[in-house]
Amino acid sequence: MRVLTHCLSFGKPRSLIGLWLGLSGLLAAIALLSLLYGAGDVGPARAWQALQNLGDAASYDSEAHFVIAELRAPRLWIGLVVGAALGIAGALLQAVTRNPLAEPGLLGVSAGAAFAVTLAILWGADTATLRVSVAQLGALGGCLCVLAAARLQGIGSDPIRLILAGAILSGLLHSLSSLILLYDQHTADEIRFWVVGSLAGRQLDDLVPLFPTLGVAALLTILLARPLAALALGEHVAIGLGHHPRVVRLLVIVVVALLVGGATAAAGPIAFVGLVVPFAARALAGPDIRRTLWLCLPLGPIVVVSADIVSRLVVPPSELPLGVLTALIGAPVLIGVVRGRRLPTL
Amino acid sequence: MTSPADTPNAVRQDKYYLALPLGQRAPLRVIVDKRNLLANLLLLGLLILLAGVSLNIGSAASLSLPATLRALLGDGSPLDTFVIQELRLPRVIAGIVTGGAFALAGCLMQTVARNRLATPGIVGLDNGATAFAVASVVGTGISLAPPAMALTGAAVAAALTFGLTGRIGVRGYRFLVAGIGVGAVFGALTQLMLTRVSIDAANAAYPWTVGSLNARPDHAVLSLSLALPPALLAGIWLTRSLTVLRLSDAVAISLGIAAGRCRMAALSVAVILTGLAVAVAGPVGMVALIGPEFARQLSAKNTVPVVGATLAGAVVMVAADLLGRMLLAPIEIPVGIVTALIGSPLLLWILLNPNARTAP
Repeated sequence: MRVLTHCLSFGKPRSLIGLWLGLSGLLAAIALLSLLYGAGDVGPARAWQALQNLGDAASYDSEAHFVIAELRAPRLWIGLVVGAALGIAGALLQAVTRNPLAEPGLLGVSAGAAFAVTLAILWGADTATLRVSVAQLGALGGCLCVLAAARLQGIGSDPIRLILAGAILSGLLHSLSSLILLYDQHTADEIRFWVVGSLAGRQLDDLVPLFPTLGVAALLTILLARPLAALALGEHVAIGLGHHPRVVRLLVIVVVALLVGGATAAAGPIAFVGLVVPFAARALAGPDIRRTLWLCLPLGPIVVVSADIVSRLVVPPSELPLGVLTALIGAPVLIGVVRGRRLPTL
Repeated sequence: MTSPADTPNAVRQDKYYLALPLGQRAPLRVIVDKRNLLANLLLLGLLILLAGVSLNIGSAASLSLPATLRALLGDGSPLDTFVIQELRLPRVIAGIVTGGAFALAGCLMQTVARNRLATPGIVGLDNGATAFAVASVVGTGISLAPPAMALTGAAVAAALTFGLTGRIGVRGYRFLVAGIGVGAVFGALTQLMLTRVSIDAANAAYPWTVGSLNARPDHAVLSLSLALPPALLAGIWLTRSLTVLRLSDAVAISLGIAAGRCRMAALSVAVILTGLAVAVAGPVGMVALIGPEFARQLSAKNTVPVVGATLAGAVVMVAADLLGRMLLAPIEIPVGIVTALIGSPLLLWILLNPNARTAP
């Protein structure tokens, strides 16, 4: 029990609770906005009415109710889950590679997941459950490829070159996926709207197969937080404190693959969330990985859900793919980090 | 005129160099590296061969060699003449000029940045040019022609990437990551514009986003063909300065080379070529990596193979287009995808191989 409380602690007790609660409140407000605003005809006032009269049969607004319950609520839920998963995956990957730029999308993890799903659909799979596990396997493959290449040539310590290797791997997998889409019309139809990364048109049922693996990932994250905090002090310190760096690294990679693969299966490849969210969390909470992880939990959904709201409002009545918006937010952050006189280290 | 015996340290001319006299009394001589000459001739032969094969083979009909030649000269059967002159020849010409332009731009930029990974595609020029070209096609109220817009886009992307990360030519990888960021922003903007417009306009702009020789608007091919020869001449003219710049700024300046101006000139040529080439074929950025690499393997060590890179780029582009047409026929793989599949492993190899990481 004591171990568990340690694991769940904020690092420095109580210092971040206010901040965390504030962010959670902000997230709740954004979630409400996400239910109220949309690209369609049901405006915020009408949606608000419908939300208030939810149990009232007399003033039942079937259209507004349908839009909220069937279209907006699933998007909100998926956005919450995807945002949290991507944010935490980014923080974990950055901690384990000791590289503030290591982002699952940039390192080829999302591209690996997308490629695996494309391949699976080409070979005749189309059930949602299979998609999740295949995406997670692909994410693991992409992750291992980049990290193995980095380790092999000792460029893991150079943040910039690791990113380049990941970007190149992403490009390669992306063009392989395009080749498959070109080759096979059925696959193309099945997947066309999935590869751009969007929350539009997702069902709540898409979320259910995610829960087992995401649960495992959450459990492992809780257990890994302390060893990771020790690893941040250096390999020798971590060994001296009784941790096993190799095991910890391997487990973290598995967790990242589970999280990113799950998120990609639900919403398609969404880049830069894993960069922006931990960046903001570190700015607010300092370098301790446990505090960072706690803050990523509300921050990730805040970024994804608000980006989703904006993507609905920019070009009504059509929508913007979510991946486009996150790239517009994230790329400047990437450039800003790279521009710094001294690259931040972890 | 000194003989080799007078200057014992001089390289023996007859072995490595050809000194071609200019004028009657030979006050000027053009010194040509023999190996580079050989490599360029080889590449030229390869290019002619591939162009011939590319004219010969196609999904409509594979003509015999005499028939192709007759059709090319205009006295074959009407169908053959149409297929060769209207369909295949423009495509081969577009492939040659775009491949040459991309590769020349890549060679210049790699040399200026002293980094073999620094090709226009990675630094975000391709995406910038694409975004601007798409903006002009989908009608955002800007009435400039796509080549001019693509040129502007390439210039903006170059200014952003190099402006945001400080001096050009500093060894290091930072500006590459900044370039990836700039490229991502422009890629997102392209997507944004494609989602905003009607499906017809989006389809009209689609060829620019994948990289293909299918669309190749005539005016864009024409403007690129007009720009390529002067750019190549400028590249040849810059070769000597660039060769010295590879050593270090101090050496270059002490030998009387205006380092900053030389870099700026090379970079401008690269930006112009990339912009115009993107307006023809879309972002086929990997040619800018494969072409110079190919040329460097063939050419003499420690030279900047400007002509060789141009020829090699044309060879790569025509070959990739041919492959894309043949591999999955009747489906045609866009040349952008073929070159990405060839180029990405090469890029990874350069990044990971410690011996290959040296400056070009």
